[in-house]
Amino acid sequence: MDLQGQNGLDNTFRESWRNRGVVAWVVAGTLISFYTLLYFGGDLGLNDVPALNFDVWAQAIGLPSRWHLYGLLYTVGVVGGGVYYLRKHGNSRYNKYRIAVNVAVQVLLAFTLPLVMALFGQGSYYFSYLWPLAWYDFHPGHLASIPAAVAVWTLGGALVLAPLMAYRYGKRWYCSWVCGCGGLANTFGDPWRHLTATSTKSWKFEKVAVHTVMFIAIGSTFALFLDAFAGDRLPAFHRIVDGGQWWSVKRLYGYVVGSILAGVIGTGLYPLLGPRVWCRNFCPMAALLGLQQKLGRFQITVKPDMCISCGNCTTYCEMGIDVRSYAQSNESFTRSACVGCGMCAHVCPRGVLRLENLTRKRNQGDKARQGLPVVNL
Amino acid sequence: MRVVIIGNGVAGMEAALEVRRREPLWDITIISEESDHFFSRTALMWVFSGQLSHQCIEPLERDVYERLSLQRIRARAVGVDVEAKRVLMAGGREPVPFDQLLVACGSKPRPGPWPGSELAGIGNFVTHQDLAWYEAEVHGGPSRGGPPPNADAHLPFSTPDSPYRKRDVAAEARGRRARDVAVIGGGLIGIEAVEVAHAAGLHPRFFIREEWFWPMAIDRAESTWISERMRAHGVQVHLEENVERFEGERSVERIVTDQGSYQADAVVVAIGVVPNTDFLRGEGDMPLTLDRFGGVVVDERLETSVPGIFAAGDCASVRWFNGAVRPEQLWYTARDQGRVAARGLLGDTAQRYARGHWYNSAKLMDIEYTTAGLVNFHVEGERNWFFEEKGPVRSTSRIVLSGDRVVGFNFLGRRWDHAVLIRFIEEHRTLSYVLDHLNEARFDTEFVPPLHIPMEARLRGLSEGPAPSALPQPVAPPAV
Ligand SMILES: Cc1cc2nc3c(=O)[nH]c(=O)nc-3n(C[C@H](O)[C@H](O)[C@H](O)COP(=O)(O)OP(=O)(O)OC[C@H]3O[C@@H](n4cnc5c(N)ncnc54)[C@H](O)[C@@H]3O)c2cc1C
Ligand code: SF4
Ligand code: SF4
Repeated sequence: MDLQGQNGLDNTFRESWRNRGVVAWVVAGTLISFYTLLYFGGDLGLNDVPALNFDVWAQAIGLPSRWHLYGLLYTVGVVGGGVYYLRKHGNSRYNKYRIAVNVAVQVLLAFTLPLVMALFGQGSYYFSYLWPLAWYDFHPGHLASIPAAVAVWTLGGALVLAPLMAYRYGKRWYCSWVCGCGGLANTFGDPWRHLTATSTKSWKFEKVAVHTVMFIAIGSTFALFLDAFAGDRLPAFHRIVDGGQWWSVKRLYGYVVGSILAGVIGTGLYPLLGPRVWCRNFCPMAALLGLQQKLGRFQITVKPDMCISCGNCTTYCEMGIDVRSYAQSNESFTRSACVGCGMCAHVCPRGVLRLENLTRKRNQGDKARQGLPVVNL
Repeated sequence: MRVVIIGNGVAGMEAALEVRRREPLWDITIISEESDHFFSRTALMWVFSGQLSHQCIEPLERDVYERLSLQRIRARAVGVDVEAKRVLMAGGREPVPFDQLLVACGSKPRPGPWPGSELAGIGNFVTHQDLAWYEAEVHGGPSRGGPPPNADAHLPFSTPDSPYRKRDVAAEARGRRARDVAVIGGGLIGIEAVEVAHAAGLHPRFFIREEWFWPMAIDRAESTWISERMRAHGVQVHLEENVERFEGERSVERIVTDQGSYQADAVVVAIGVVPNTDFLRGEGDMPLTLDRFGGVVVDERLETSVPGIFAAGDCASVRWFNGAVRPEQLWYTARDQGRVAARGLLGDTAQRYARGHWYNSAKLMDIEYTTAGLVNFHVEGERNWFFEEKGPVRSTSRIVLSGDRVVGFNFLGRRWDHAVLIRFIEEHRTLSYVLDHLNEARFDTEFVPPLHIPMEARLRGLSEGPAPSALPQPVAPPAV
């Protein structure tokens, strides 16, 4: 039978591994060490120790490189977490379909396809990652090196498809259905979603941080572009942008944004700060899609005067949005941060919230819905 | 101007916020015995299960009192001296002077009438302290989210008859946590207490005096499904069974009914709530007029029999949508009353409290419930249209008509937008119009297929008279 809403009661705050207990710290420590070794093992001179060199591990099980090993572990995390998620929340169709697509994209597009291509000696393409998340995608050298059809996808996907879809359906089409980072957050990371900070302070930090990274991502993409065409004539500029030193824009962006913010911190802190640290505070793609969503048709509709202020929505919002504050003031809303995971609507015990892609008709319905005369204040 | 508010619940807090919005300089003091912070009483069950922490159920950030300079007193009020304009306090605390007063002291659990009710291990599920007791019985203590801050700070300034006193825990005396939990009373608080015991891995017994669960709100056919779900989850549902007494040494050991005797380690009595107004009776004259329910009598501006003193929320006897005057124990009405009372405190004489249409929603185990309008109300020329959907989605829909006019809705299994339902009622729609347009009120989550009503069910579903299994007597709509 198809049931909406939360299936049974959760015991999030009774299970110590889900509430910053010892196990949570151990898992976080393990994840952080793993990412540090993965990204910085070479720089830290640890790759000489075979046990700490993931390339060695990868070859031991017949995978071409540490990145394929990482892909395998990632996929195991998404599949395993997906099973956990579906057991907990799979009674509702939105959750079921969404996670199924997420897992399928990870298994097929983000893991199997690149692996097969690598095994056949081809370059690997990750079709489910778009610029500016796949920040280097727009580098002219990169675009020139890939088949024309892939280049068309790379440009069209990022510049046409993504904004159009975000306008029509909200950023959820990417952040909660397709993206690998979102996929991991909503599967492997789901047990910790209530740990996302909801304070006003965290919101202020998010707004500054995520838009800063977005501007840096866009600005540095322009810089790369400029460098590709005019770098010969501007040697100093070329040195800064793509000179090969650790402090060049290209390498610094890779280290700071790609490795530290997305990996070490973004995933490493799942068990302590919730699964969307990266998506919420640092992901340039999320910021850009968020602006498009804000202009678009997606909204969370609030039933008037039905909210009992219980706080389930706010607690389980992985983006730290204070959904309750909108619900208790009868305000339907579109927040640029909202990834449309649907959990606020799912856990609401009074069915107050609904994710919607507005159409003209619904808009009118919405007007009719506003004036519920309980008291004429 | 000194405004004093007794009660840090939704009514009191809404009033405080509204007064502060208008009057940045007035002195506002909130007296609350139960807790330091305003919290959502409706959410106690999720704190018990561990789904939410205490902080999660606080709708406002904790610094709101400092930010808006709302002063707090964490102690029990034991009376109001109307002449001297002072609130009298327990534990030898100084009386609190006021120019204007709002009484928003909420409800307390209705006590069980049965012998043995004073044994340890018997409690309720209404206050923070009830929650702490129930958690201690079943879980051995609060979740990792911790107890609320300063949980016991009020104890030196309380009285033995307070609903916020600390309870004896049978589990401590017994040396093991409760295994056999019983819940008495088939209403919303009862089913919540059952649900959380089930979530804790127990198989609670649910004693219901009536023929079926929650007869005020749902009819037999609807209720059968709920009972079925409860039983499927391992709840032992005892219908039409009357509790007679509790037995045990110091703690409860058995619960005896007219049909048997059962082991019980912990018993939650959930047979309703009554206005928490005993302290207003105080010693000597009773300045504020209370009605036979114990509710504070108020006029349409929510002013009591004493000018300058207002009452709002669960403790006030207000005019219901059907004209009856009695306390109404609901979150949204308490909130609205808080706002109206605030206008009174601000000296606005035009503001009236006017109750709109009845509506509500709930979740009964894992089944969604929505109602709007006059259901189980025995309206003139009543007819009921009923449809049970089976298939990928299971649901029931009941539409109540008065003559040809649709006047009420009762739904299980799907989510509906009560605002649209109320629009149908206000527009005096016919059954066939409503059935044609029902999906406009759909509020299901995405991808749930719309409700499809086959043509023959549209006709077959209609029966004359009240719902076949509704209560014989007209009843007031259910509060909790
Ligand atoms: C388990 C449960 C579930 C519920 N679920 C729902 C629901 O789903 N939907 C719904 O609409 N309603 C529900 N209700 C009812 C709803 O919670 C109440 O109607 C609402 O909270 C009433 O608010 P209030 O402000 O009037 O009083 P309360 O929230 O009861 O606040 C009373 C305040 O007064 C203070 N106080 C009282 N006496 C004194 C005194 N003598 N001295 C000092 N301070 C005092 C207390 O400290 C407290 O702060 C539920 C209630 C319970 C118990
Ligand atoms: S607001 Fe709701 S849908 Fe949006 S991210 Fe938060 S929980 Fe998910
Ligand atoms: S919207 Fe729902 S989940 Fe959120 S506070 Fe209100 S009732 Fe609770």
